[in-house]
Amino acid sequence: MVTDLSHLVERLRRITAEVADSGASLGSGVLWPPGCVVTNAHVVRGSRAAVRLVDGRRLEGQVIARDTDADLALLRVLGTGIPAASICDSTAPVGSLVAAVGHPLGVRGALSVGIVHAVGPVRLGGRSWIQADVRLARGNSGGPLADASGRVIGLNAMVVGPLALAIPIGEVARFVQAARVSAA
Amino acid sequence: MNDLVALSNGLAAAVLQASRSIFGVTARRRTGSTGVHWRPGLVVTADHTVQTEDDIMLTRPDGRSVSATLAGRDPTVDLAVLRVDAGDVPTVRIGDSTAVQAGHIVLAVGEGPRASWGVVSSVAGGRGGTARAVFDLDLTLYPGFSGGPLVDVSGQVIGINTSGASRSQHLAIPGAVVEALLDGLQRRGHIPRPYLGLSTQPVRLPDALRQRLSLEQDSAVIVVAVQSGSPAAQGGLMIGDVIVSLGGASITDPMDLRRVLQPDRVGESLVASVIRGGEPHDLHLRVGERSR
Repeated sequence: MVTDLSHLVERLRRITAEVADSGASLGSGVLWPPGCVVTNAHVVRGSRAAVRLVDGRRLEGQVIARDTDADLALLRVLGTGIPAASICDSTAPVGSLVAAVGHPLGVRGALSVGIVHAVGPVRLGGRSWIQADVRLARGNSGGPLADASGRVIGLNAMVVGPLALAIPIGEVARFVQAARVSAA
Repeated sequence: MNDLVALSNGLAAAVLQASRSIFGVTARRRTGSTGVHWRPGLVVTADHTVQTEDDIMLTRPDGRSVSATLAGRDPTVDLAVLRVDAGDVPTVRIGDSTAVQAGHIVLAVGEGPRASWGVVSSVAGGRGGTARAVFDLDLTLYPGFSGGPLVDVSGQVIGINTSGASRSQHLAIPGAVVEALLDGLQRRGHIPRPYLGLSTQPVRLPDALRQRLSLEQDSAVIVVAVQSGSPAAQGGLMIGDVIVSLGGASITDPMDLRRVLQPDRVGESLVASVIRGGEPHDLHLRVGERSR
């Protein structure tokens, strides 16, 4: 199990970028789809951002789509040389393990492990979240929430008390799809 | 499949298993709570979440509402039992709570279902020897989780979660305590509420007195009121008596009295060791039952 966990964290660290927007806001991002990094809109407020990869390289990312309501932004980042994340769009069962990697409070590549608390709105009529019983902090925003196999199931976006809220990857995929269509 | 995936699948299966046998409980304002279908027609929940004895509504796992009545309660262990026509809702699989040890991975399940995970951080025996064991939990009990099941990794229920009336604690009442309460309920038809008929306040014991009487405890309770005709009065207890032990358990504060006075002690004669005028006395108090 220890080996499985270390493989999982290595795999997630590879597909997790550190995103810095003119030094002001700092968060995480996921290398997905190929040639892009997807993150939260609240992480990158400008049109460009610095993207730091697991191997320390710094690349420039250009914001090609943004949806502040959905809190999603897509950056074009060329030349990463790192395979994009694999994703899983089926509903994660309540109780199943989840792992998050990000850069909370300046700690690079920190791993948090927890379980799916619930899937759905936090308040009646609100948007649907993957609610995870996992300890996250500022700097995890935009980073991956993955299942036990390392497939990304959501994008960490918010912390409410002890609960982490992630945007389901299906919603992220629809945003990315729409961004590509409009960019084409 | 690697071990991590197997664990993940096991945890999800455990939540699913438990969630089939839990009810949402609406018996207080604002946040509801959770109840566990422990025995056919009997749902166990946390007593502090049952603030009304009428109009108790339960939500079945399929979302349908069903009314329930209060079958009995024991505030000393924070358990209440509701009677309900559970229909096709199965009872939970009950595990061996006496085998639970600090470090075991556990899940808390609330209506929804919602879940949190963590470990048992300690298995407290409580003070005085007679206090019931409690599991201290290193996990988050989210709003509405009180009264819900504490589940082991195999999906068996080993306790009832409670954040206490203060909502700040993370505890579980072991399944064995629930079993004893339900046994008493089914034997008597109700859960008796033990009664002595006295009021007390905590009091410090002077070092000189402790040394002279060979007492290890540095506090006890002083009797400030005795109801006439009560078991305390009949046993000869007087205002000003300092109770240092009851039924063999040290009494260091008024909560210790409540811990000793469990429902199954009704009718028992307990020895109260008291200090009166600086001298030790033993009194025999027969535990009465508070009228319903």
